[in-house]
Amino acid sequence: MNTSCNECGAQIAVPNDVIVGEIVSCKDCSSEYEVAEINNGTVLLKPSEQVGEDWGE
Amino acid sequence: MKLGITFDRLRWEEKALKEAAESAGLETSLIDVKGLNFEVAKKRSEFGDVVLQRCISHYRSLLLSQTLEGSGLRVINSHSVAEVCSNKLATSIALSKAGVPTPRTFLALSSDAVEGAAEELGYPLVLKPFVGSWGRMVTIVKDRATLQALVEYKEELANPIEHMYYLQEYIQRPPRDIRAIMAGDRLVTCVHRHAPPGEWRTNVARGGTSEAFKPDAELKEIVHRASEAVGGGVLGVDAMESSSGYVVHEVNNTVEFRGAQSAVDVDIPKRIIEYVAHTVKR
Repeated sequence: MNTSCNECGAQIAVPNDVIVGEIVSCKDCSSEYEVAEINNGTVLLKPSEQVGEDWGE
Repeated sequence: MKLGITFDRLRWEEKALKEAAESAGLETSLIDVKGLNFEVAKKRSEFGDVVLQRCISHYRSLLLSQTLEGSGLRVINSHSVAEVCSNKLATSIALSKAGVPTPRTFLALSSDAVEGAAEELGYPLVLKPFVGSWGRMVTIVKDRATLQALVEYKEELANPIEHMYYLQEYIQRPPRDIRAIMAGDRLVTCVHRHAPPGEWRTNVARGGTSEAFKPDAELKEIVHRASEAVGGGVLGVDAMESSSGYVVHEVNNTVEFRGAQSAVDVDIPKRIIEYVAHTVKR
């Protein structure tokens, strides 16, 4: 599945077995997106959460 | 048994855990909790019978495990374990009380108290945030001038917790540390974590690399005791090799294991799920 980057417009290749919640990134500008919805082979992305100060293990 | 795996950022680990759980015959849901709200003490069926808590945000993780336990659900790791592991001071206290070798640690309740603690420890020492992971803001302080500069910077920060200080003995160690992954009383695997070039911290999130090795009896005993000291569960115990033996410096509540899995043959997610299933049956 392909979609485009909201930031730079480049094509983002999304694996066919992707699931909602997974993170994909744009190879051109490194923007990160979270898969918000998958509908009939179309994938909808939303900006992923930014790394928080409390993130980790 | 129905298993809920909660997350706020879906990583390789959560997908691997779901796959392992399904292979073990468990009905499993991956639940993105970011968009959810909860009525206090009201049980929700979508979380199943037991929840494997895997949020990447400490605060979200703590509040969620508290809320889910408060609604009567079984959460792994428990909220009390999460609380001990997510606060470095609480971890140090738990390890010390249990007699687990751990670096000497001081709490200083204001900038005025920092230098006295530093004199007790000697330089270099390590300054760490109370809450934090991936080695973030963990600093080697080589001398008094550096400590004074760091304190000046921290005093300018708005958050009051920045005006209190966690100082720890610096352990002379090889350029590596040890990550032991525990699932209950089972040591799943042990790896050495090597710091990347130009870095002293060994965190995989900072580019550290993992290498398999066979733990000796002393290390096995210490990581078991460290796990028990914080309350047990699915944990990442971090240890160092000091001149006088192993010391445990941290126990991680939401252990990341992609790095370790790349270095070892043991199926880490499978072992974690075996522990989850076994715990629930008890």
